[in-house]
Amino acid sequence: MSQITKEMLSILIASTQEVFETMVFRPLGSQTPIEGEALRPRSNVVGTVAFAGEHCGVVAFYSTTETARTIAGAMLGIPAAQVNGEMPDAIGEITNMIAGTFRTRMAAHGCPWAISVPTVTIGSDFYTKYVSDVRRILCPFTMSEGEEVFVELILTKN
Amino acid sequence: MRFLIVDDSTTMRRIIINTLNKVGYQDCAEASNGREGIERLAAAGADMVITDWNMPEMSGIEFIRAIRANATTKDLPVLMVTTNAAKDDIVEALRAGINSYVVKPFTPETIKEKIEAMLAR
Repeated sequence: MSQITKEMLSILIASTQEVFETMVFRPLGSQTPIEGEALRPRSNVVGTVAFAGEHCGVVAFYSTTETARTIAGAMLGIPAAQVNGEMPDAIGEITNMIAGTFRTRMAAHGCPWAISVPTVTIGSDFYTKYVSDVRRILCPFTMSEGEEVFVELILTKN
Repeated sequence: MRFLIVDDSTTMRRIIINTLNKVGYQDCAEASNGREGIERLAAAGADMVITDWNMPEMSGIEFIRAIRANATTKDLPVLMVTTNAAKDDIVEALRAGINSYVVKPFTPETIKEKIEAMLAR
């Protein structure tokens, strides 16, 4: 049965922090990870990248629309107020880089995976449900201005 | 020095162009996949290509093979910028004909060093 190990989580957290520091130019403070489905982030933007191989699952990125605009603006070098249609693509890229960095580092630990292209969902009052029996751990982060973002690791129990 | 940036993500094209501008390169053209990249090269040429791997219509690997198969572009320096960083990925990209490889996320210093190393060869 696939387990989400402490090592896996620390690699995911470090991957997320590296992507934000390098491409968003904003350091992320890591909060205590939350296991299970009890706490869901109130997010309007969700980026997902699936992976398959030694383990199967999904890496998901969550933020509010406002925070997603801030992130996109920082990546593109423009004020957040000027960000419009670019935001979904920027969040897709962020999710892709987090999952890609995570994948590369897990491969170095003997876990080779293939990853999918990113998908971005934007809306309100929706919930992401996985059909398979899965384990979920949500990693909360705080950006320098106090905005919260979340990265979740979802692993199938195969 | 004219660059052609080939990536299906408008965000990533903008990030790469901003990075090139920061390190002193101003002349950049864009394409959103390999097929468009080939058209841009035929129409206006370039001194160096920076390409993603995973793209619709024609992937980065297919694009590089097409560049190497064309007498006009066969010696064009190609830098791949991608999240695919496993050892097998790098071997595949080298076999296809890339000159150098940058893994996302990257810093402007990394891009600058890779470009300068390619130009020095």
